Amino acid sequence: MSVDIQGLSIAIGGVPIVSDVNLHIGDRSRVGLIGASGSGKSMIARAMMGLLPPTATCSGSIRYEGEEIIGMGERGLADLRGRYVSMVFQNPGSALNPVLTVMQQVMLPLTLHFELSQAQRKARAIAMLAKVGLDASVGSRFPHQLSGGQQQRVGIATALVGAPKLILADEPTTALDSITQRQIVRLLVSLVDEAGASMLFITHDFSVLAHATDDCYVLDAGRIIESGSTRALLDQPRTPQARQLVHAARELTLHTAPDEATASSHKKERR
Amino acid sequence: MTVLKSIWAHAQGRYALIVLSAWVLIAFVSLLWTPHSLWATDGYHVWAAPSADHWLGTDGTGADVFSWLMAGSRTNLLIVVLTIGVSAVIGLLLIAAMVSSAAMLSGVTVVAVDALISIPTVLIALILAVPMDASIAVIVIACGLGYGLNLARVARPQALLAARSDYAEAARAAGVSPLRVLVSHIVPNALPTMSVQLSLSAGTAVLAESGLTYLGIGVPSGVPSWGHSLATSVKFINVYPLTVLWPGLIVTCVVVALNLFGDALREAADPVANPLLRQAQVRQAQPMEAAVVQPQSEQVVSQPPQPKQVRP
Repeated sequence: MSVDIQGLSIAIGGVPIVSDVNLHIGDRSRVGLIGASGSGKSMIARAMMGLLPPTATCSGSIRYEGEEIIGMGERGLADLRGRYVSMVFQNPGSALNPVLTVMQQVMLPLTLHFELSQAQRKARAIAMLAKVGLDASVGSRFPHQLSGGQQQRVGIATALVGAPKLILADEPTTALDSITQRQIVRLLVSLVDEAGASMLFITHDFSVLAHATDDCYVLDAGRIIESGSTRALLDQPRTPQARQLVHAARELTLHTAPDEATASSHKKERR
Repeated sequence: MTVLKSIWAHAQGRYALIVLSAWVLIAFVSLLWTPHSLWATDGYHVWAAPSADHWLGTDGTGADVFSWLMAGSRTNLLIVVLTIGVSAVIGLLLIAAMVSSAAMLSGVTVVAVDALISIPTVLIALILAVPMDASIAVIVIACGLGYGLNLARVARPQALLAARSDYAEAARAAGVSPLRVLVSHIVPNALPTMSVQLSLSAGTAVLAESGLTYLGIGVPSGVPSWGHSLATSVKFINVYPLTVLWPGLIVTCVVVALNLFGDALREAADPVANPLLRQAQVRQAQPMEAAVVQPQSEQVVSQPPQPKQVRP
């Protein structure tokens, strides 16, 4: 599903959080949205779900295949959520309801949006769990009995079980360790491609972004400061903020940053 | 079933279950049979000591104390059930208003609950008794209102935490309507707190019945209840202490049982705290797992899903 965001501005209690954001996600494409904490990434995702807090004011336009969702009624939005657009949350532990079993949570979008028998729902949910690499026995467990990686797999299964056309992944790997991060990103990318859906991948971590997306937007203090192919951005970030994010990602993944590499080679030459 | 088993597993829970089921059983038996008729008074045997004929003795009119206590158990059961029902409904409505996203509504409700909670239940009962006279309805309405306010006040933080949680938002993001988020995601997470508060309220309702009946605004005279049995004999406690002891003992045992039941219920009904409940879920899932292996379920999955509403 293609998404067109034009001049999106969000303010909470008069304080601007996001201003004049233009963003395009093509059909079946994976786009990244990167920015430091507090830059307004999650607010854009919430606006795309129609889930902004009641104190927020929102202007501009968000169109899904030409259909405007800003100002859309609660009924229309409820029909959209989980069926056409769904979300993978940052913290898998808190995004799963502690008193419902995994199976109940994965079946929820099916119950809401599809006319299926209980047996069909179960079969579909179990198949979805298998796709995210979880055994059917996990279905009868409660979220606190799973590891963080397993919880996020359940989150992905819940998001994808209704075969949505757009996935909003709001920092889906931030709360996980680096090995699990890589597994989860690979899983998400393969499932999104397999389903023929589009994805907006929100993160503050360029190293994750490179695996997950082709194009990306850099958000700083609520404004898009840079956009283009993820590869090009990683190689040659133009703005200082983007450069900072790239350097941070390099340092943490044990690659040397370009500046440091040249500096150390200079030292060697002097010796 | 698993919940009951888990309650039974602890001594306190076992005591609560025995006392409460005996209470319910006796209440139903009393509808059909009591050792003596309630109105069989005997002027020659007033304040009689316990004997083979009168197991717990007789009261000031010569009526059998045991029969009156048996019949009283059904009045008290009715009062407790109705009070809990009324307070649960009031409490849930208030909680729904308190966690609503409309700042005005939640703000006003919080202030209103705090203001109303300061009015003593006895005072509400006294005011209600003016138009309604002494009746069971006075106890049920006064206690139901008072305990409903308490319930909302106590369960609010838990409900608020659930309302602002990621899983409530995740449910919204899956397309769940706000009302259904409240009913199936927020309330179940506040239920452990609410069950304890409600069982405490049940105990307090038994005490309130005795207190209000003693004041003459509770159960009307002639209707058997534990409070009635206490109120009619308490003046003679110095002379015939046994007649007061029996209803007092029953009220104490039942209130303790209700309080312990609440604790045991919270432990047993919470999947995080109760391993037995988790095992039960796994056992239920066994046949479901077997179904996965069958090839036809794979076929079901490969078919494209049919949405309820088709969008352009």
